[in-house]
Amino acid sequence: MAIAESAELFQVEHARPREQRRWLRVLLGKKLAMCALAYLAVFYLAGIFAPLVATHDPTKTEISVEARLAGSSSEHWFGTDRLGRDIYSRVVYAARTTIIFTFAVLITGGVFLGLGLGLLAGYRGGWIDTAIMRVGEILAGLPTLIMMLAITAAFRTHINNLSFDLADATWLSVDEARTLVKFVIIVGATVPFAWVGSARIVRSQALAIRELPYVTAAEAAGASTPRILARHIFPGVLPLFVVGLSAGMAGIAGAEVGLSFLGLGIDPPTSSFGNLISEGAGARFFEQFPHVLIFSSLPVIFFFFAWNLLGDALVDILEPRANQR
Amino acid sequence: MGPGLTGYLIRRVLWAVPVLFIISVAVFWIVRAAPGDPVDSILGRDFYSEEQAEQLRDKYGYSDPLPVQYWKWLKNFSQGDLGISTRHRDFTANEIILPKMRISATLGIIALVITFGLGIPVGIYAALARGTILDPLMISTWLMIDAIPYFVMIPVIQWLLAIKLGLIGLGYEGLTSPNIIVPILLLSLPAVAGVARIMRASILSVIDEDYVRTARSKGLRESTVIFTHVARNAMLPMITVIGLSLPGLAGGSLFVELFFGIPGIARESLDAVLAPDFDVILALTMISSILFVVANILIDIAYAIIDPRVRLGEARG
Repeated sequence: MAIAESAELFQVEHARPREQRRWLRVLLGKKLAMCALAYLAVFYLAGIFAPLVATHDPTKTEISVEARLAGSSSEHWFGTDRLGRDIYSRVVYAARTTIIFTFAVLITGGVFLGLGLGLLAGYRGGWIDTAIMRVGEILAGLPTLIMMLAITAAFRTHINNLSFDLADATWLSVDEARTLVKFVIIVGATVPFAWVGSARIVRSQALAIRELPYVTAAEAAGASTPRILARHIFPGVLPLFVVGLSAGMAGIAGAEVGLSFLGLGIDPPTSSFGNLISEGAGARFFEQFPHVLIFSSLPVIFFFFAWNLLGDALVDILEPRANQR
Repeated sequence: MGPGLTGYLIRRVLWAVPVLFIISVAVFWIVRAAPGDPVDSILGRDFYSEEQAEQLRDKYGYSDPLPVQYWKWLKNFSQGDLGISTRHRDFTANEIILPKMRISATLGIIALVITFGLGIPVGIYAALARGTILDPLMISTWLMIDAIPYFVMIPVIQWLLAIKLGLIGLGYEGLTSPNIIVPILLLSLPAVAGVARIMRASILSVIDEDYVRTARSKGLRESTVIFTHVARNAMLPMITVIGLSLPGLAGGSLFVELFFGIPGIARESLDAVLAPDFDVILALTMISSILFVVANILIDIAYAIIDPRVRLGEARG
């Protein structure tokens, strides 16, 4: 689960903001990347509009034997699971889980910590830079898997207390509160390890840009630090930051799927690709009921694949020397 | 190795001490402050009297204040004593961890060799095929393999090879049994995409250098140019990739070990975290952090030896 670590291995050079149009043209010319983008659009639309796209209630169980583990049919497109729930509808809601989770990690770990701390470290330098980068170094040195498992396992024993407290304090029902608490736990377990890669990318870019004449000019003109960061540094950092995020997306989404598969993330009846796949993942079970594993895993496999292809295409476009041939 | 390198290395090693200290304090605090009574995992939940529990807490020092416990642990750890396992009674953490780590590391090293053995040629080939359909096709095929989670791929492969074709057994029969080939391939093949991608980018970044043009214009054969002038220089970033994948070898691969019943260290990590088995978790975390720090220092040394242009202490933090 090397989250966003792979992104920083690409030593991509700083590209000039003026070239933004050109990237778009090159990206549009890449057929594979366009297919990936189209698939991601379908995935995100399905997840966001899950109640409209789903054909059944994803949590409605059937008692009769014939209704359980039934194969693909016109009634249940992806068949049904052990409890007779419609797999297609569960997949659609699992997409929603993936979207919510990755969005939460991107905002907190990516934008807030990765971009924010990276900009701060790169622009201010000095002890702030040292402190931020050393904390990142320590986090990068920890074994991610053990730490994520330890954090989730430790907090999961408190799920009941926390969700009752939350339900009392807010308008949420206990079940809703419990789902929310589980989301917070896995986001909290992922974020500490998800920001370091982006922060390093952003920092090295910010370091290079702050020496450029237009930044010096802005400083001389008396622009405030937030203004310089937002108006002058941020636009130059943005392309590589986006590339880093898109290359790391599959890893981030994969963290939730893996934890849920182990029963340490989102549990049924809430849909997650991890818990859907865990129902069908066994050699003997697959022999008898292949539809459970196939239909619940393919959508998320294509999701990972699409993000990897897109990240790859973006890296390719941003690597200026690779384009000269 | 010049005097600059020696001084730099001393600074790096000295810096590693506080880093490892902070990690150990943080992990010690997380693990000990986490809910879950170690006595539960020794005696079995709710099957003991309070006296027994007190006895055990005294015996293992769990009733001491946390700083005292930490000091004792640190003293033992620095002497190579990893502590006791609360999950496996009467076994020390050394006896639990080291044999399992050896199994995982053996598999990991074999897999690593295969990964780089395939990834580097694929990357070179894709770079040379740039502009043709072969380049994206090759890379994306490996990316597709990389996108399939282990817990989807393994049941299908087990069904195909073991149940349908009867080629392999499902259980673990030691590192010398032919059954082990499948887990090794599963450990190595998905990682090929990453290596190939970096190798490809690295080749493309040197292929237009002046010295390559010079080599061509001297009339050298294309294969000589590619292998001795391009590939050799493009291998430099590979040092980082290989170096950073070393600490992971001691961690094992959770899903491969779970599905194939391999008694490796990743499975032990999961069990230790769920138990919780304090000293084992601490030991695993510390070993892996130390390996990470060591790997980073080794990467710097390797760069300095291979590429004299690298001035240490400036380029990498």
